[in-house]
Formats: sequence, C-alpha cells, structure tokens
Amino acid sequence: MSAQRAAAGDAPPVVEFRNVTLRFGDYVALLDVSFVVPDRPDAGEFVSIIGPSGCGKSTLLNLIAGFLQPTEGEVLVRGRPVEGPGVDRGMIFQQYSSFPHLRVLDNVCFGLRLNAAARGLSDPEIVERAREMLGHVGLAGHESKFPHQLSGGQKQRVAIARSLVLEPQILLMDEPFSALDEPTRLEMQELTVALWHRVHPTIFCITHSVEEAVYLAERVFVMSHAPGQIAYDIGDVLPPSLGVKPLDAQERPEFKAAVRAVTDVFRAVDRAPRGGR
Amino acid sequence: MGRGMLRGRRAPVPAWAAVALGLVPAAVLLAAWWLLTRGEPEYRAISPVILPTPADVFGFVPRLLHTPGDAESAFWRQVLLSFRRVALGFGVAVAVALPLGTLVASFRGWRLTFGPTVAASGYVPIAALVPLSMSWWGTGEMQKVLFLALAFLVYLLPLVIRALDAVPDVYVSTAHTLGASRAQVILRVLLPVAAPDIWHALRLAFGVGWSYLVLVEMTVLAGGLGAMIFTGQRRSELRPQIYVVLAVITLIAWAVDLGWARLGRVLFPYREERA
Repeated sequence: MSAQRAAAGDAPPVVEFRNVTLRFGDYVALLDVSFVVPDRPDAGEFVSIIGPSGCGKSTLLNLIAGFLQPTEGEVLVRGRPVEGPGVDRGMIFQQYSSFPHLRVLDNVCFGLRLNAAARGLSDPEIVERAREMLGHVGLAGHESKFPHQLSGGQKQRVAIARSLVLEPQILLMDEPFSALDEPTRLEMQELTVALWHRVHPTIFCITHSVEEAVYLAERVFVMSHAPGQIAYDIGDVLPPSLGVKPLDAQERPEFKAAVRAVTDVFRAVDRAPRGGR
Repeated sequence: MGRGMLRGRRAPVPAWAAVALGLVPAAVLLAAWWLLTRGEPEYRAISPVILPTPADVFGFVPRLLHTPGDAESAFWRQVLLSFRRVALGFGVAVAVALPLGTLVASFRGWRLTFGPTVAASGYVPIAALVPLSMSWWGTGEMQKVLFLALAFLVYLLPLVIRALDAVPDVYVSTAHTLGASRAQVILRVLLPVAAPDIWHALRLAFGVGWSYLVLVEMTVLAGGLGAMIFTGQRRSELRPQIYVVLAVITLIAWAVDLGWARLGRVLFPYREERA
C-alpha cells in the first residue's frame, strides 16, 4: 500500500514541523515553527541550518532526533510523531563521539550489532558492511585502531560511517566540522557531499559558516533567535556541488552570488530587534 | 627558569637514574635512622624503647619467619589472614558499589533516593565504627570483613558514581541514535567507557583498605598484622615487630598496587597513557 501511495505522489513528508513551539520554563526556544521536507523518491534533501548562536538550531535537530519533545505542535517523521531516538535518524555531533573502548571497526559495527536480529544480519555480514563503509569514508586500513590514535577528522569519519552503515533515512549533523582545522573541514565537506549522493539520506546540517552551508546544501534555513524561528527558507539560489572541490566551488560566480544572498539574509536576521528577552 | 623546569618534565631520563633517584628518600631515611639510634642505648638521641636500631629491626625478621612452636601464629599465616580479610571486605564492597553506583548514576529516581546518603556517608568517621561493629557483629571474622566492607563501600561508592557521571553525554546520545536500549546504553557504553576510571577507583580503594585493616585488627585476639602491631606496642621486647609489620604492610600494598596498574594497562589498552 505504501508503494502505491508513493507512486501516487502522496507519500508523507520525510520531516514535517506543524506549529512547533518548545519552551524551557519561561524561555521560548522555538516559536511556532512549521516546515516540510518532502519525500523524494530518488534522493533525500540536504538542508543546512544557520543562524546566530542560541537561536535554537540544535533544539530543532534534537526534536527531529527525539531527544526533545515539543511543548506545542507536532514533529512528524514520515507522517508519524517522533517519540524518541531511533535508528532511522542518525546523528553526528560536534564533539568526538567514537566510543573510546572500541576499535574503529567495532565502532562502525556497533549499531548493526545492536540491530542484528531485527535486520537478520550475521556477524560476518555486519563486519563486511562496516569495512565497506569505512572504505567509503576513506578509513580503509585504520580498522583496528582505537579512537585516541586518530586525528579529529578521522574521528568524525568514524562517526559518519557508524551512522550511515545503518542506512538511516535522516542524518542529523550538529556543527560536525566546527572542531576541525580548515583543510580537514574542506575535505570533510567534499566527503559529505559525495556520501550524500551515494547513500542519499535526507540531511540536516547545522553550521556557522555560510560558505559551508551553500556548498553542502540544496536548501538553507536561516534562523532568528529568541524566540527561535525559521526566518528564511532559501532553496532556489544554491548551485549543486557534487564533484566540485569546496575551494573551486567558491571561485564560481553563482556560488559567490549565493553566499552573498545568504549572508545578506543572515545579517538582516542578526540585526533584527530581538523579541522576548 | 620555571619554564625550563616544566620543559624538563618531559625530557627523557635514563632508567638507572630514575631508579637511583627513587631510592634517595629511602636511603636518607635509613641513614637518619641509623644516626639517631647509634651508640649505647643510654646516650641515643631517641630511646630504643621508642625506636630500635635498624639492626634490631632487620634482625627481627628471621625470628618472625621461624616462629617456634605452634604454626598457627606463624608470620606468613598472619599475613594471609590479613590479606584474606582485606580481599573479602573488598569483594563485598565491590559487589555492592558497582551495581548500586551504576543505578544511582543511570536513573534519576535512584540518584534522588541515594545521592544525599552517599554524599553524607563520606563524612562518617569510619574509625568510630570499629567498637560499634564489635557490638553489632561480635569479634569474629565476620565483624572484621563487614567493617572493612563498610569502609571500602563508603570510599568506593562516590568514586564509582563520579566515574560514570564523567562519561560525556555525547556517547549516550549517540548510542541512542544507533538504536541502543537503555540497558544496552548502560552495559555497552556507560560502563565500558567508565571502566578505566572505575578500575582506578578500585585500585585507590584497595590501597586505602590496609589502613582500615590495622584499625580493625588492633585488639589482642584479632590476629593478623594489626594484632602484631598491637602486641608489639604492649611488649617492649617485641617493639621491632611494629616496624617490621609496618614495612611488610607497605610493601604488600605497594606490590598489589603495581599489580593493579599493570593489569589495568592490559585490560584497557585504549586508555590514553598518563604518568
């Protein structure tokens, strides 16, 4: 039946916020946020989220992840209210999250092993998938290292492989490259675009860099703060970046124009008088 | 100058120099001891009743090792008896502290229930429990083991909880997004990530336990190394025994500590080395 619905073009959106408000006591983190990220049959959408610090970017991600529940409104993933975290929604954090007691390979196997029975996977199959994914993120040969033997960029590659190996429909990235040095960041941006086209989940990626947002995403949410709202939802100006290195992309006129447009919006949001507190 | 010294902390030192430097305090102590107890007893700086000569103390060792008569009082038996008490008390404490600490660190209800008690119990004067423990549990083995268990527990429980609390939230959140249940998060993430710190806490606690052992054995009939100190204190001709036992306890505790450390390096190869 669901196949028919998808064919008929009325599959529920991958993510939908319906008038979502989240309060922590008196503080309004998000106010009446609504948006729809549609289900596309071939590939998920790549949404970057930028905005001033404290505007509720992480809150929005945590609502999709199921770590938080809305005070009012509904957070729907594939038409169903989010009740808690699940394997269909992977998450990459800014802090390094590779389990220190597990070798790289076992880190990537971690999720599949927890869900081995549900997915009918034997351990050799799990290890094979993990090795393949490690190859995709450029960590072949590092399987038996412990996380403390890896660089920051390599640790984030482990985290990405560990999430993607579960084939989540949604990947949530909370400033995943902020702790990395500039060359590594550019490398990781390129890798992320390549992986997105290979595995095509819907990706939400928080960043504080407009260039990063424009390079990675097809759609950018610019959020305003206190109370947090999506002030602008930009889609049409963003050039595709598959197969283009970040620095090369930045040389292109259409990229520069997009960065300019998003920066102007960001500035306008940042200068706007603050509601609430 | 200060910066030069800091830089020196990282500079490599030859092994022989490290060993030699480490022996300096012991050598100074021994020399001072020898100087202070030199000459005829009447003219010494410190009376032989208080501090026997090194020769007296070292000469006492063979006497302890070859106890004539009943083998019950043989020195190595006393050592084993004491070790057994420490180990049993430790075992009981660990068996309580690990599950209880895990529950307190993992579940809000448990933390609200036990947190204040754990915090307050750190200030109970453990020494005062020795006489009480005798009225609760008599003067047999059980009293010694349970007293030690209590002392270990009070020391260990906050350390276990702190080790688990120190695990960064990002590991727990990540595990949840990878499909881990609450039990799986605790067993596969929280405990393994905290394990090196818990191990360190166990190691510290085991070392501290020897002080409590002496406390609970300091009665005539208790047996064990503490009782040997007690009798050494009461009979002046046995005075050197105190110093021998002191040294033996220190050496045993130190050796065990080195064992803990070495085993820890084998068990937790992923622990980033610290000095």
